[in-house]
Amino acid sequence: MSSGEIRAENLIKRYGEFTAVNGVSFSVKSGEIFGFLGPNGAGKSTTVKMLTTLALPTEGRGLVGGYDVVTQAGDVRRIAGVALQEIGLDNLMKSTELLTIQGQLFGMTRRQAQDRAAELLALVKLTEFTDRPVGKYSGGMRRRLDLAMALVHQPEILFLDEPTTGLDPASRRDIWAEVRRLNRDFGMTIFLTTQYLEEADELADRIAIIDRAQIRVEGQPAELKAALGSESINVTFREDGDVQRAQDEVTEMFDRVQIDRKTIRLYRNKAAEIIPAVVNRLSGAGLEPVALTLTTPTLDDVFLQVTGARFEEDAKDEAPKSGRRPGRRGFGQRKSA
Amino acid sequence: MAAIATTRAGIASAPVERTPFLLQVSMMAWRTLITNIRVPGVILPPLIISGFFLLVYNSTLSGAANFFLRGQSYLGFILPLSVVSAALSGASVAGQSIVRDIENGYFDKLMLTPVNRAALLLGPMIAGAILLAMQTLVVVAMALLLGLQPETGALGLLAVIGIALLLGVGFSGFTVGIALRTGNAAATSGASFLFFPLSFLTATFVPYDLLTGWIQTAAFVNPITYILDAMRTILNIGWDGEIILRGVGSCLALGIVLFIWAYTGLRARTKRK
Repeated sequence: MSSGEIRAENLIKRYGEFTAVNGVSFSVKSGEIFGFLGPNGAGKSTTVKMLTTLALPTEGRGLVGGYDVVTQAGDVRRIAGVALQEIGLDNLMKSTELLTIQGQLFGMTRRQAQDRAAELLALVKLTEFTDRPVGKYSGGMRRRLDLAMALVHQPEILFLDEPTTGLDPASRRDIWAEVRRLNRDFGMTIFLTTQYLEEADELADRIAIIDRAQIRVEGQPAELKAALGSESINVTFREDGDVQRAQDEVTEMFDRVQIDRKTIRLYRNKAAEIIPAVVNRLSGAGLEPVALTLTTPTLDDVFLQVTGARFEEDAKDEAPKSGRRPGRRGFGQRKSA
Repeated sequence: MAAIATTRAGIASAPVERTPFLLQVSMMAWRTLITNIRVPGVILPPLIISGFFLLVYNSTLSGAANFFLRGQSYLGFILPLSVVSAALSGASVAGQSIVRDIENGYFDKLMLTPVNRAALLLGPMIAGAILLAMQTLVVVAMALLLGLQPETGALGLLAVIGIALLLGVGFSGFTVGIALRTGNAAATSGASFLFFPLSFLTATFVPYDLLTGWIQTAAFVNPITYILDAMRTILNIGWDGEIILRGVGSCLALGIVLFIWAYTGLRARTKRK
């Protein structure tokens, strides 16, 4: 196993009767960006906590850079950088002070740590804010500083637990660019959890979708989307009964049909070419759609395919607990017909 | 974003050495100190309370105290009580610092570094004691302004501050233990008041010999009695080795018990679950 690899072997985490992670296995190659995608409460952060030595697995094994997360926790901490979902900063301290202490704890001299702090503050564009306490930073600035804290010791492997949650679009793109650059320039292995589909699509070489404590699917985003077929026609009706009738009318024209509430999704290659035929067939049966769109497959469709529910619905279920705004999620390319 | 200028190899080679334990402790103490100094609301109340006690007790009781102190200074008698009060009310500084770290997630961030766990405990405790010593210095200065003339001179005053420092480390251990076990600011703040009865179940306003009944029994088993006695002897009588040793011993005994309490709290908090 190389120094940049991560491996999870049947990881299980139970809290009393509740199973937060249930038999999760995957491997991340050195220098890869691995997206760990799932709604709130799916088990992403618990998996990260086990792999970063903050929590013990109930069962199973985790290896980070070849080190066992249970028996060689100190070595794991030395080679891995971690930016947790909850930003861990002392609000009364200043950014340079925090980064310097972090560097010194990782064995740098004070001078080395100060130089590194200056370098990282420039990297995350916080150089001009070093004179104010971190408590006065905006959410985006705090997230950027937290990322800098994780990079102080130049880790081989970087764990980013929902690094862009709560950020404005510009800050998110900044973080994305930095993640790409760290991976490209330094060959850093990056384990990225996210609840944003577009983020996983944008950044990850490979993804695993976790839902209700278990991994549902794993692979390259393009492969997973391609496996669904190239396009789908989505027809929405006012009544549930119309959806059933539409299914009877047009199923034979498509490779695969899926019903999602009042919308029927019709999958086949070059679906755009037969839109007129579909409209005519429905019209002939006296069915009047309220909307018709043409969609190229997205990770949302992959999620629907493997879990039977929309990513957005799962996220909404968790919204009151997490305070996350319903409907804020990533979408793939979607165009109207 | 700007690009990192250095190469991976250039930085990765630096953090191989392990930071010495004492340096880790001093770093943790330093950050607790500066963060508390930045919030005057943490430091000023204990100082005001101590100064208030000194001023009020000295003004109201110094006349009446002539008959039992036989010419000794009442200021020298009551100043140790102010110092102990400061230690009690200032003891929550270390605990509150740890609670703040737990609440804002910085404690977890530290747990992800190779920091020695004991440094997380000792740093805030030492910082709390240093703050207490600084507060004691101010209270002693106030007593000097009110006319205190210690029998043992400047050295005696330093000894009183030293005892206060020891006492501060001990009391800090108590609040740190609560902070680590509960991770709750209100519980930590409330817990520091649990020790307040100790400063009254003793020879608070009159010498131990004048106490009778249950309060004398309580004072006998209360380590604060011996700490007050040592400070008072230094200020009003002189260098009495036996009494001072008993006071310092009480401080150490209290400190050891409360350090064990804090350490087991740290073990419970940092044990991976």
